[in-house]
Amino acid sequence: MNTAQVRKLKNGIALTVCTLAAFLGLFWLFFIIWDVFFNGIGGLNLALFMNDPVPPGLEGGGLRNAFVGHLMITFFATLIGVPIGILGGTFLAEYARGRKIARLISVLSDIMVSVPSIVIGTFIYAVIVKPVGHFSGWAGAVALAIIMIPVVLRTTEDMLSLVPWTLREAAFALGAPYYKVIIHVIYRAAAAGILTGILLSIARVVGETAPLLFTSFNNSFFSANMNEPVSSLTVSIFQYAMGPYDSWHSQAWASSLMITVFILVLAVLGRLLLAWRYGKRPTI
Amino acid sequence: MTRSKKNFVDIFFLSISAIASLSVLLLIIGILYVLISESSPAIEKFGVWRFISSTDWNPVKGSFGAATTLFGTAITTVLSILIAVPVAIGIAIFVTEIAPSFLKGPIGAAIELLAAIPSIIYGMWGLFTLAPIMSNYIEPALQKSFGRLPFVGMLFEGTPMGIDLLTASVILSIMIIPFTASISRDAFNLTPTVTKESAYALGATKWEVVKNVVIPYSKLGVFGGIVLSLGRALGETMAVAFVLGNNHQITASLFDAAATITVTLANEFTEADSDIYLSSLFYLALILFVMSFVVLAIAKFFILKTEKGIK
Repeated sequence: MNTAQVRKLKNGIALTVCTLAAFLGLFWLFFIIWDVFFNGIGGLNLALFMNDPVPPGLEGGGLRNAFVGHLMITFFATLIGVPIGILGGTFLAEYARGRKIARLISVLSDIMVSVPSIVIGTFIYAVIVKPVGHFSGWAGAVALAIIMIPVVLRTTEDMLSLVPWTLREAAFALGAPYYKVIIHVIYRAAAAGILTGILLSIARVVGETAPLLFTSFNNSFFSANMNEPVSSLTVSIFQYAMGPYDSWHSQAWASSLMITVFILVLAVLGRLLLAWRYGKRPTI
Repeated sequence: MTRSKKNFVDIFFLSISAIASLSVLLLIIGILYVLISESSPAIEKFGVWRFISSTDWNPVKGSFGAATTLFGTAITTVLSILIAVPVAIGIAIFVTEIAPSFLKGPIGAAIELLAAIPSIIYGMWGLFTLAPIMSNYIEPALQKSFGRLPFVGMLFEGTPMGIDLLTASVILSIMIIPFTASISRDAFNLTPTVTKESAYALGATKWEVVKNVVIPYSKLGVFGGIVLSLGRALGETMAVAFVLGNNHQITASLFDAAATITVTLANEFTEADSDIYLSSLFYLALILFVMSFVVLAIAKFFILKTEKGIK
């Protein structure tokens, strides 16, 4: 073989390997989704949503408490985390634009996005659970909110920075104070982007388990009281999957299916919104 | 509205947004402070070096050391990086250079969706699907092919149960592929088209362009992506918790159960019955926080440098 042929051969092999790598990635994605779907679909029935858990071994239990608990924890986490994130992002993109402090906080938030969530759980255990004396839904919601803040903050900052400066100048020229410009002009111009940030941050925390293990803990009874331990889907999945009963496994798979579908819908929606409005994709 | 009232509202809005953004800074300082103060009994009792180097994890006797969990964390992290990085870079090359343009977006997005799947799903899938596959097919095959070799054979000793370091690392590697792939893709995309075209004009093949132009041009960014994945792998909890067995031991074989910092925290935190036990767990959390913070900061530094260098 002459050099040209060797080079061509090398080229062919390398490109094939890269293509195979891409298909390996896709293979994992479809394998996992198919597996969750296949195993979860059988356990999906009305009892799962309508009944509370029954003692192991009995038939007909469900995870109503976990579904309601999970919704409550996520809802309150969103209620706490999103406003703080949006306001923080506003400060970085508007009042502190270009200053050193804005750069610093922006970089620190990027790091915080990837900090192990279980560490946040231990932190909340020390500052909320221990002083109060018991696990509570509030502790879980605060832990999730802490995970949401940097995600929302960074997307808001990015999206506000995309709003053209001339738009602000036009509003200033009409005599509007800065806060009015932000609320009535900038937030409106960046609404789709901020919404994406919220969607992606919810998708981020809905599947979190580790920070809930020692904050909201678990509760085998139905409870709508955020001051008590509150059951969540993810912690229930952990408990049920590690348990010995087949009915537990099937409920764990069914709940996993619900969570996976919910998160994938949010993630795809967020991506489509971003691609459609800005032609961008989110940074992971 | 009068002028002074306008000013007041403006200053009010400025202050609450400033406080909101400072909350990130306060959180980091707060986490560090709380973890240090909660773990101070353990720090006083075991010291720093003795805690890190001691393999003794004995709740009954009240003596604790981090060496076994640090070992598990290090092995799973390094092994998962070794598996994930070649695949992730292959994916990035495929998406930027090989795929037809109508496939670039969808395939890239699909692989990034792997990052959206929650870790508990990975864990369950690992326990019920991957672990049996590993113990029935892959691990016996590895044992057969490498088990007899000197030294290397030690890695594959014991009965393949599927609940071990290797399975945990494989799951972790699948989880971190999208991070490395996505950041490498961004870095590859920053290579100026003109530079690539000049290489093609000299008669280079596509692989030669990738190897000699694109990768050297973007190696800082790729490195940043790898370090970011490393940081993610360090702190991953649920995916590993299902398939590692939480067994405090240091073993040569990849077919043994082990423990990582995160798995130990997840399994033992609510069971800690003495103050020194809980304090030692906080100590582990502190070590994990500092480690991952430093690693992630290094990753961020490289990623920022790539972005700046190209602008």
